[in-house]
Amino acid sequence: MTGTPGQEGVAAADAAATPLAARTRGLRKVYRGTVAVDNVDLDVPTGAVMGMLGPNGSGKTTTIRMLLGLVTPTRGEIELLGHALPDGAARALPEVGALVEGPGFHPFLSGTENLLRVAAAEPHLTGAGTPAAVRAAVERVGLAHAANRRYRGYSLGMKQRLGLAAALLVPRRLVVLDEPTNGLDPAGTREIRSIMADLHAEGTTVVVSSHLLAEVEATCTHVAVLNQGTVVAQGDLRDLLDAGTASLLVSTPEVESAVDALRDSRIPARSTAEGIRVDLTATTAPEVVATLVRAGVPVHEVRRQRTGLEDLFARLTTAADPDMDDLLVPQETR
Amino acid sequence: MTTAVVDRAVQRPTATRAPLGRLLRSELRLVLRRPRTLVVLGLLALVPVVAGVGIAIAADSGALGAEGPNGGGMASLVEGNGLLLPVFSLVIAMTMLLPLVGAMLSADALAGEAANGTLRGLLVAPVGRARLLAVKAFGVAAVTLLAVLLMTVTGTVAGVVLLGGDGMLTISGTTLPFGAGLGRVLLFAALVTFQVWALAAVALAVSAMTEHPLVVVAVALGLVIVSGVLNAIPALDWLTPALITTSWGDLPDVISDPMPTGNLVEGVLRGGCYLVIGYSLALSRMLTRDG
Repeated sequence: MTGTPGQEGVAAADAAATPLAARTRGLRKVYRGTVAVDNVDLDVPTGAVMGMLGPNGSGKTTTIRMLLGLVTPTRGEIELLGHALPDGAARALPEVGALVEGPGFHPFLSGTENLLRVAAAEPHLTGAGTPAAVRAAVERVGLAHAANRRYRGYSLGMKQRLGLAAALLVPRRLVVLDEPTNGLDPAGTREIRSIMADLHAEGTTVVVSSHLLAEVEATCTHVAVLNQGTVVAQGDLRDLLDAGTASLLVSTPEVESAVDALRDSRIPARSTAEGIRVDLTATTAPEVVATLVRAGVPVHEVRRQRTGLEDLFARLTTAADPDMDDLLVPQETR
Repeated sequence: MTTAVVDRAVQRPTATRAPLGRLLRSELRLVLRRPRTLVVLGLLALVPVVAGVGIAIAADSGALGAEGPNGGGMASLVEGNGLLLPVFSLVIAMTMLLPLVGAMLSADALAGEAANGTLRGLLVAPVGRARLLAVKAFGVAAVTLLAVLLMTVTGTVAGVVLLGGDGMLTISGTTLPFGAGLGRVLLFAALVTFQVWALAAVALAVSAMTEHPLVVVAVALGLVIVSGVLNAIPALDWLTPALITTSWGDLPDVISDPMPTGNLVEGVLRGGCYLVIGYSLALSRMLTRDG
């Protein structure tokens, strides 16, 4: 856990007030000598929308697959809706809807036929109630117009919707969505968000993974940030957003002498493309300006900047995956 | 959207698994809706018809008789002896077509579903892993049986219509009445089905280990071919009892009179061993497989 003061307190309060929908302890998965996930302690409070945030390959999907009993952990404990896995899987999983690693359906069947196939395996559905459940799910994800077309001809967005429909066939206590907006246009993304908001309003716990921070900020109440197979921060989204240390952005033509002057006064500072970023944990803005003026450094502009989750995420993950720079646009690189 | 939500009440709130009958029906429907299953079943059903037409034409032009009493082998025996056509067709199909069908069905059952991404949907539903394997094994076995029965039916009908015959002339030269002959045909079909099940069980084990259906088909057909080759090498005859194809050549014993049962029983036992080994391997892999 890094830089999340107060998180222990929040977690303790949550544990007392609401039971956890999912809980992992010391989760570890090794694939042929490669550690995919290590020491993951995840707490998903009941009723929360938990965003799992991390770059590609950070262990989000592996963690989700272990949560769903698809993969046996090398070590560690999992509790899903109060049932310990793997023994309690039969009790827990009927109440869990999942869309993992993209939608998977039979190309030669229509959307409806595919859902009927999924429905046949759902313990909570009766044969008589199945057609109505399928129709409701198809309507809910806005796929009614294409329900009788073959899956083979679906666009990526339609496939994703059908995957979501399968996850929502039965009323669930927990819905797990792995990158649900992959391949969706902005309208589709909005619809997914609205479905997630509906689920949240109904009291369903939602776990959603994403490598897009904006998406998590827009939809989630809680967040767990994963990096290189471990949880580096988790908790209430607002707490995490506030928890980042404030900083000051200084524009000056004499970058080196400014940084030297600040470091001489034991003020942490580093030069970035936008200017000099000064950490305000141990100091105040007037003091920084005074230090610079004393040293004779010309100052064009000083801006106060609160480091949001974006900065936290960028700081945690920039080095891990070069592709992320394109997606995230962290302040340091612009 | 709101009405949809209202409709959605949990219907069997305490159930932890879907009814088995529903899963089996769904599996059968899936396999029988798959275009390649339908194509293969159609082609298999045509095999006896094509063979029957060929033999009928050859018989008309006297080609079969010209080769002497045994020259045409089984084909010459079939002439004017329609009930042997399904047997003859199944013997032809057993060399490659039926093993291919068994392997293909097994490949689609687990590896194909894994490649599609549909296997994890079933596992998360949840369908228990052992139960899922049982459902898959049922699907493979049922459609294999269907394929053999289809060939038997078209073979019998085509044989009686094209080649005629109101009894069955056995390999031994005796003639069985129509009813008893039909019984022999059905017994032959059952034994063929069982041998394909044995191969399909091994294929299912491979299917549980990979997500590449092609690997399953290749391994299963490779097994058949290698068994055949090893069987043909006299120096390796100590291996013969362990090879899956060893008893396949004994199947025509069914149309001898009286029927020698020794090799047939041995064949069933050998097939049973492969069945048990195949399903055991499949189960052990299925229980630990990453979905």
